[in-house]
Amino acid sequence: MIDIKKTYKNYVDGKYVRSESGKTYTKELKNEFYELPLTSKKDIRDAVTSSKDGYKKWSSTTPYLRMQILYRLSEMIEGNKESYVELLMDHGLTKQKATKDIDESIQNIVWFAGLADKWEQLAGNLNPVSEEYFNISHQNPIGVVFSLSGSNISLNELLMSILPSLTVGCSVISYSEENSVLALKFAEDINNSDFPSGSLNILSGKFENILNDVSKHVEINLVAIHKDLNNGGLKAIEQNASESVKRVFSKPSIEGLSSILPYLETKTVWHPKGT
Amino acid sequence: MGKIKTSYDSIQWSNVLEMVYESRIDSVGLNERVNSLATRSIKKDSKLEALNMIVSMCDLTTLEGEDTEGKISQMVAKAIKPNPLDSSVPSVAAVCVYPSLVGTAKEKVQNSNVKVAAVSSYFPSGQVPMESKLLDTKYAIESGADEIDIVINRKAFLEGDYRKVYDEIVALKEVCQDVHLKTILEVGDLKTYENIRKASLISLAAGSDFIKTSTGKLSIGSSRQACYVMLKSVLDFESMTGVKAGIKVAGGIRDAKDAIRYLVMINEEMGSDWLNPELFRFGASSLLDDVLKQIKKLKTGAYQAGYYFPRG
Repeated sequence: MIDIKKTYKNYVDGKYVRSESGKTYTKELKNEFYELPLTSKKDIRDAVTSSKDGYKKWSSTTPYLRMQILYRLSEMIEGNKESYVELLMDHGLTKQKATKDIDESIQNIVWFAGLADKWEQLAGNLNPVSEEYFNISHQNPIGVVFSLSGSNISLNELLMSILPSLTVGCSVISYSEENSVLALKFAEDINNSDFPSGSLNILSGKFENILNDVSKHVEINLVAIHKDLNNGGLKAIEQNASESVKRVFSKPSIEGLSSILPYLETKTVWHPKGT
Repeated sequence: MGKIKTSYDSIQWSNVLEMVYESRIDSVGLNERVNSLATRSIKKDSKLEALNMIVSMCDLTTLEGEDTEGKISQMVAKAIKPNPLDSSVPSVAAVCVYPSLVGTAKEKVQNSNVKVAAVSSYFPSGQVPMESKLLDTKYAIESGADEIDIVINRKAFLEGDYRKVYDEIVALKEVCQDVHLKTILEVGDLKTYENIRKASLISLAAGSDFIKTSTGKLSIGSSRQACYVMLKSVLDFESMTGVKAGIKVAGGIRDAKDAIRYLVMINEEMGSDWLNPELFRFGASSLLDDVLKQIKKLKTGAYQAGYYFPRG
């Protein structure tokens, strides 16, 4: 009988839930064991239902409010900085590296919080036309985003797989394999940051188990994969996704403004000048 | 198939009273039985069959002040071919509309086997004099309705005037003649299981071909418990008179999973005779959409989005 230090749960629809399948797996960190939910197909389905609702709520909040909520998230993480550093050190990072990772995470959240009410000005455009009307490229969030986080143990990398889509108003289903303890710990801070339920769901498990369901699910609008998949995983995802014309991105850019572009859909608006 | 009902001479008002006053229901046992029936797991092949069956039992319904001829045409098109891309999905049983739109609906169903049902007797409240209810029903029948959904007089029922409830249904049945009569109990207004049983028996004795749970206009719609009470009443009525009446559940059944639970209950308690659109119906507007999604999910393995299916 092994001693479980902590049992983590998935974060779905603003609640901490066990996998519907009841299945878990254990992860050992520094001689201590953590129990993590092994997400099933049904859990994914529930998460999508919740994300669809979450998208409606989150995308209709004002950019100003989104900025405040993101900023609050950075404060929550800053408040718990020590426990994050400790957890990263349990994963084998040096104290220096762990501290740096958390500092960068906080800075990045603040950066995206700042972007929340500015991206539309930067990514949208007034297009040149030689007639008496305006032609505007108006940017809209694409909808429900599924994001598979990278394999490095880093809060910053995890956040960079979530923040770009979240900032523009998409709802995100973040899925983690190697760094699930970190992701589910992070989930505990989301609840204190006023995100509407369903706007950000965090799940853990084996991606193989749910690969088909995720890539075929018609109500997921975009799949972002932030790590290398073996056994032709990416190809399978692309093939499945093509049936519902879903966008698939493998390791999308996380640099500056270009990080948000995959998650936007352009609506072109014509408007008379009224001269 | 049940016997076609021609005469109700075998049932006198005194028989009805006797039945009504014997109504006692063990609600704890009822809940337990209903919940245990909800846990059956249905395997993939049976599920597909069940889903197709649910489609064939649907009364596609629109009962809004904003209904227009255009909206009815759209709904009828969907009723005839619920999924235009999959011809193995059957047509629904009927479309259910207000009397003023029966003519339009009748014209649009043409040669399909989709029937036209009209709600009448001043659905959903029924708070008008009897003359008006008769007129309302006559109008719907003259416009060509194949089925009539009426509401019971809840005012009279809750005041204890069961005779009035009974007489009104008898009078409306006389107007209907061969036209299928479905009587809505509005279980949300009746509150207790005993009341549901009483109302069921009164409606059945008065000559209803179907009893129906709800109008769909209340926040409390159908429940499996209410349906269970009604199906027991239908069975008891059958053992007394030999007449098989139908049940229609409506209001609040939004997903395929829930609908399948109703089918399980009907099959277990009443037998497969009742698993047939002549004797069991779902009143649905949003249910059909979910069922279509689930059928496609079973066939393709991909969860579906509502916007790929026709509106109606």
